[in-house]
Amino acid sequence: MRIQEPNRAGSGSSPTETVVSVLMVGVGGQGILMVSKVLATLCQAAGLEVKQSEVHGMAKRGGAVFSHVRFGAKVHSPLIPEGEADVLLALEWAEGLRWLHYLRPEKGVFISDVRRIVPPFACRDRGRGVAPRYARSTPAEIIGRLGTGYALDATGIARDLGNERAANTVLLGVLSTALDFPEEAWLEVITRLVPPKTVDVNRAAFLAGRAWVENAVLPEPAPEPAPPAADPLLGRIVNRLEITREWCKGCDICVKFCPERCLALDAEQIVVPTDPEACTGCRLCEWLCPDFAIRLHKELPAEAAPAGADVGADAVGAAR
Amino acid sequence: MTDGLRNLQGNAACALGAIAAGCRFYAGYPITPSSEIAEWMAAELPRVEGVFIQMEDEIASMAAVVGASLGGMKAMTATSGPGFSLKQENLGYAIMVEAPCVVVDVMRGGPSTGMPTRPSQGDLMQARWGTHGDHPIVVLAPHTVAEIYTETIRAFALAERLRLPVVLLYDETLGHLVETVATEPPPPEAVVERRWAEVPREAYRPYAAGEDLIPAMARPGDGYRAHTTGLTHDERGFPTQEPAQVAALLDRLLGKLDRHRPLIERVETVEAADADVLIVAVGITARAARAAVRELRRTGVKAGLFRPVTLWPFPEGRFRRQAESARAILVPEMNAGQLVLEIERLAPDGVRVRGLPRYDGEPVAPDAIVAAARELVG
Amino acid sequence: MNEIALTSADRFDIREYLRLEMFPHFLCPGCGHGLALRALLWAVHELGIDKDRLAVVSGIGCAGRLSAYVDANTFHVTHGRPLAFATGLKLARPDLTVIVITGDGDGLAIGGNHLIHACRRNLDLTCLLLNNEVYGMTGGQVSPTTSAERYTTTTPAGNREPTFDACKLAEGAGASFVGREATLQVPTLKNLLREAIAHKGFSFVEVISDCTEIFGRKNALGNSPEMVLRQKAGMRPDSWGNRVDRPFRPNPFPTGVFVRKELPEYRELYDAMTAAARRD
Repeated sequence: MRIQEPNRAGSGSSPTETVVSVLMVGVGGQGILMVSKVLATLCQAAGLEVKQSEVHGMAKRGGAVFSHVRFGAKVHSPLIPEGEADVLLALEWAEGLRWLHYLRPEKGVFISDVRRIVPPFACRDRGRGVAPRYARSTPAEIIGRLGTGYALDATGIARDLGNERAANTVLLGVLSTALDFPEEAWLEVITRLVPPKTVDVNRAAFLAGRAWVENAVLPEPAPEPAPPAADPLLGRIVNRLEITREWCKGCDICVKFCPERCLALDAEQIVVPTDPEACTGCRLCEWLCPDFAIRLHKELPAEAAPAGADVGADAVGAAR
Repeated sequence: MTDGLRNLQGNAACALGAIAAGCRFYAGYPITPSSEIAEWMAAELPRVEGVFIQMEDEIASMAAVVGASLGGMKAMTATSGPGFSLKQENLGYAIMVEAPCVVVDVMRGGPSTGMPTRPSQGDLMQARWGTHGDHPIVVLAPHTVAEIYTETIRAFALAERLRLPVVLLYDETLGHLVETVATEPPPPEAVVERRWAEVPREAYRPYAAGEDLIPAMARPGDGYRAHTTGLTHDERGFPTQEPAQVAALLDRLLGKLDRHRPLIERVETVEAADADVLIVAVGITARAARAAVRELRRTGVKAGLFRPVTLWPFPEGRFRRQAESARAILVPEMNAGQLVLEIERLAPDGVRVRGLPRYDGEPVAPDAIVAAARELVG
Repeated sequence: MNEIALTSADRFDIREYLRLEMFPHFLCPGCGHGLALRALLWAVHELGIDKDRLAVVSGIGCAGRLSAYVDANTFHVTHGRPLAFATGLKLARPDLTVIVITGDGDGLAIGGNHLIHACRRNLDLTCLLLNNEVYGMTGGQVSPTTSAERYTTTTPAGNREPTFDACKLAEGAGASFVGREATLQVPTLKNLLREAIAHKGFSFVEVISDCTEIFGRKNALGNSPEMVLRQKAGMRPDSWGNRVDRPFRPNPFPTGVFVRKELPEYRELYDAMTAAARRD
């Protein structure tokens, strides 16, 4: 699939005449702050007013980090309101999706690495053998919805160049094609800001990002890992909650702890499943019910597991 | 213990009687003047694969006895007044859950720490009413070392038969008195084994009883998985406050005593049939009373002795019949007047009742009884 | 649809271990004791203990009522005395698995003496102490573990007495197995209890539980879900130690296993002694 030509921000006029808003997002450790510093420094060198606002530190490794960069002749607010980001640069796919609503409708440019970094506490596949639910949308689905979008395997490109951690600079290269600054100016700032030992790989990464835009194709979504042998069966497991209404005292613990928010208290203050399909079978509700009013049943359709068939620990043990 | 005659201390006779009766668990706490019972049990129980344990306090030893009893063992503990006070809590529990066990109280001077090495009969009422609430209890009061041996055996038999704690009550003098006794194995009929439930689990109701008011016990591990609670419970063993069920439980518990009176009661009388003055005495005081009767008869006073070996429930019927022909009743006791209250309650109209209390740590002497009796009928 | 079972959690239906006719139980909404009971019965299930050979002994108070709900040989005894009772029961019946459920008042106040001596003696019992910081059954009076400044019906101006650390007490008294976990972590608590029951000798487990309706209400600790979450704020696994990547908070309530040592078990010692006595 060929990506359409970039609709350059503030096309037809110099970026100095309007305020350009670039939102950079990712997770801790990816180098968000470095790329936003490069952009801010570049703008400053070009004689523009620039405001940068970032949230980090509390995220540690793996937590969400974002940085707002706004520049132009005169910038009043450092923060980008929802729906007014000209560019959304995402170093991590799921983080990109989380911030999509900040992008200017129709006109905003979305640039993202397709790699997902799944936080350890995300309930990725509680249903064993079930396709991961974390950030399920494929790049094609997302890019297809946007005016301008670049989804690339920046991490892969950087690794091919010798340092996976330069993925942020690859994305900076892509970003540079959407903004009116000369290539030399970008390279000069990058050279100045990155650690001396990584100057070469970062310059190469920047140029690789720019080159990628010239003949960009959407990467096919990475295939899901091949399921183990028993998974076709396990993927069909249905989670059914059995609720003993007479025992429920309406303490609300299950409702508040359900990660999928698929339980509620009814008018009689007794728990009911509101979205049985969403249940992943994590059992938090069963375990945390002080009244023993909830029991989770894992079931397979009769044709998949005929009565008396040996579907159980043994089958799964073999699959593992 | 197949040997014939032995010189034994009262407390030792108690321990040997317990083992002869099949007691295999003893939990206790040291207290004068009962400690020798624990010492003998510590030495003797291991020989018969029994368990002796000295617990951290009086309360714990009573609790452990109830635990062992419900586990299926014949169990006993021994103490004296201050410890007996502490045991009342779990004694009440044993009564409520109908756990057979034997509690020995070797009485000493009170109240409180009192006189640990001096005799007393100050616990006659505590033995009956020590724990709170309406409750049945059986209290046996032997008066010789030989009788301590046989009454200990009887205490276990009654406890197991009635599913009830039985108190063996005697004083410091008897506990430390050495006499020649025959510690022969009891005849088979004197040893009672527990009646375990045998019906199918579905048909079993832990606290449902037949005519004898004694439910069969569920032995842990036999598959009944019963619940035991000190809360007022229904026939299934689960807590209830339903008035009819509450009354049914208490009727049955309290009714055990009346239903089994012939089995429980034991009385000794000496020349009581034609007595003008009937002396009622228990334990060591009865020994003085026996001598007094002899002396009074020798000098022409028609005296007799009524000695309740079963102190509680008091043998009311036997006593009333015996007292009808008497002109006066004398009640010597080593306290400020406890047994005399019961005698006053039961004495036929027109029969004078006089107490002869003594609570200075000395036994009541035969002379004092003789003098009081003469004065009463003279 | 046919039910399948892949894990221990799938195979464990707590209702197989309950006296169903007694339900719903009498505990208040959100009471942590129910969670503790689930973890206990789950551990019993995983260990494959026969219900007929299981004895549960409990004292007085909310924790004391739990035994009545377990389909086993159960004993609801006097206040503070379950350990003393259980000592007699276990000595009479070494073939039974004897588990004691007590509370902070039952086990640390009126029954404190029995606890320390049970720890010292090392008879093969397992003791769960459900600590909810309050006498709930009697209406919310101060207990030996009520935190400083907390309001109870007998500390109208806030509690001024220092509290017990039950685990340190048990350790000091010589228990051969000591651990603590919160009811929030049901599977972890289950694993801890499984280890405690399997341990030969006396094992002591403090369970941090919640009294939602009385203590929580009186101290404005939030509704049931909030109280369960609060446990997390006060606790962290002892095994984390002072690792630099876990520097979130001070550690008033470490969790995990604190003591695990092989000591001679009381009954084994006694049997060896009595065997010698019989030879003489």
